[in-house]
Amino acid sequence: MAVSLFWYMVEFARSEWIKKFLFAKTAPLVTPAHFRGFPEPTGKACQHALFCMMVCPAPGAIEVLHEGDGWKPNIHKGHCIRCGLCVEACPNGVLRSGRVLETMWDQGTSLQFTFRIAIDPDLCMGCGNCCTACPVNKLADAQMGAGGHSASDEVIMRVQGGDILVLHEEKCTGCKTCEQSCPNDAIRIARILEGTQQPIQQPSPEAGP
Amino acid sequence: MGGEAEMKRTVDVNIPLGPVHPCFKEPARLKCETRGERVIGAEVELGYMKKGIERIMKGRPWQEVMFLAERVCGICSVIHNLVFIEAIEKISGISVPQRAAFLRVIANELDRMQSHLLANFSYCYTIEHETLAMYLLDVRELVMDELERLTGARVTCAYIIPGGVRCDIRAEDQATLRISLDRIESDLHRYARMFETGPMIALRSKGIGILTQESARRSHAVGPTARGSGIDVDMRTQHPTYQQLGFVPVVRKDCDNHARIMVRFDELFASIRIIRQCLDTLPKGIIRGGGICKAGEIRYSGEAPRGELTYTIKTDEFGRITDIQIQTPSIMNIEACCHEMIVGVDSIADVTSTFVSADPCIACTER
Repeated sequence: MAVSLFWYMVEFARSEWIKKFLFAKTAPLVTPAHFRGFPEPTGKACQHALFCMMVCPAPGAIEVLHEGDGWKPNIHKGHCIRCGLCVEACPNGVLRSGRVLETMWDQGTSLQFTFRIAIDPDLCMGCGNCCTACPVNKLADAQMGAGGHSASDEVIMRVQGGDILVLHEEKCTGCKTCEQSCPNDAIRIARILEGTQQPIQQPSPEAGP
Repeated sequence: MGGEAEMKRTVDVNIPLGPVHPCFKEPARLKCETRGERVIGAEVELGYMKKGIERIMKGRPWQEVMFLAERVCGICSVIHNLVFIEAIEKISGISVPQRAAFLRVIANELDRMQSHLLANFSYCYTIEHETLAMYLLDVRELVMDELERLTGARVTCAYIIPGGVRCDIRAEDQATLRISLDRIESDLHRYARMFETGPMIALRSKGIGILTQESARRSHAVGPTARGSGIDVDMRTQHPTYQQLGFVPVVRKDCDNHARIMVRFDELFASIRIIRQCLDTLPKGIIRGGGICKAGEIRYSGEAPRGELTYTIKTDEFGRITDIQIQTPSIMNIEACCHEMIVGVDSIADVTSTFVSADPCIACTER
């Protein structure tokens, strides 16, 4: 009994044991480099193409705001699902998340948007709100009036004979301002996403856009 | 009439299990009619967590529906992603580069491994073999780490997109994946042997929850539940990439709880073999072919960890989903479970373990 008690005390009197007992720490939790976390800014200037907002599957997770003298994407972490699509859709490499941006550069992958305009002729009453609201139309023809009539052929769409005539679908930037201004939900913009790859022959770390 | 006699049969106690119950972890109610300890009939009551996810999917393009599809089930998310995207590809006639097809199989098999490990964990936990259960969860962490290394996330990976995958596998990740697979395989050999030869486990699993081949066919059981009853049904045999890899389904003929769990163990080894085969024969080339979604309608199936998963999709001219129905495997397995497997079980204590051996996923069922 006494001997076993002695061995017991000796076991616990070892300096390593006491050190471990008093100062033991579990290894700190480290986020691995491959983990696709919340998007972070890389420091490149945002050109407000807004593709990140368009591609985001979570409502209200990302918004591009004008702050100070430049544009800046703001991530709302409660809404973000960390899918990394905004990183892939950004043409300027403004955001990074895990290894998504690096693998994009290495492998030459990207997500390409095309925008298509669909107008339901049964619902459309030719009010021209969409043509007036469209920011691209405003740049192409600053004289466009409330009726959506325009003499310019450079506009995306205009009212002609009581109907909307789409002239330049390829100019659409997918902002969906026209959808919001339509009283009948007659106009709908389709944001068509395509995953593409242009393989890079000699991948190098500087092979960024 | 026989039906009337059945309605008037004597029942001692009608025992409800769940939705909130200490030994029943799924949000469903199982009503067991008992005479003494023997269960003479059971009925399942669902509808505690309906999400209405199919309704949310309507009118959205693939890049939004893909994420919703993943969130139908938190455990088998990759297969929902895979089946949805492959259905879209079939509609639009998009072809996938060979390398991307192999990478999809790797992600899918890793996901199947973690799902099977979780299912076997739940079974071991339900029969109170917590040691083996925790061993299996430990192995699952290795699999999850590999899935994260490949795709960037543990569960909702968002790895598969129309025309390919999100990112390529790196050379150093291939090496770590092989090392992890070796460790997983050696650990699993030990645990599978523990399960297969354990006498106490056999007392709680062998000859319990019998689902004969005829009753499995009658109740349309799918996945490991059917394969544990000797039916070789596996949608992977219809998939071109798996056909290329020479996939053969795993079948056991014992028809009891033990057989269903052992089918999952065998499928884990099969998955490890498939991943190794993919890594060995991984073709070089691009991982995204591009392609735009078009209008069409299709019914497309794939093999989820729990069985056949079917998406019925209708798209408009811009690739937006106008109509979608998801048919998940668990609903058939729950039916088989409560109408065939549980009936005749000798003790109430075996009801939960029999239910868990079919690996019911209420999140899938009620989506």
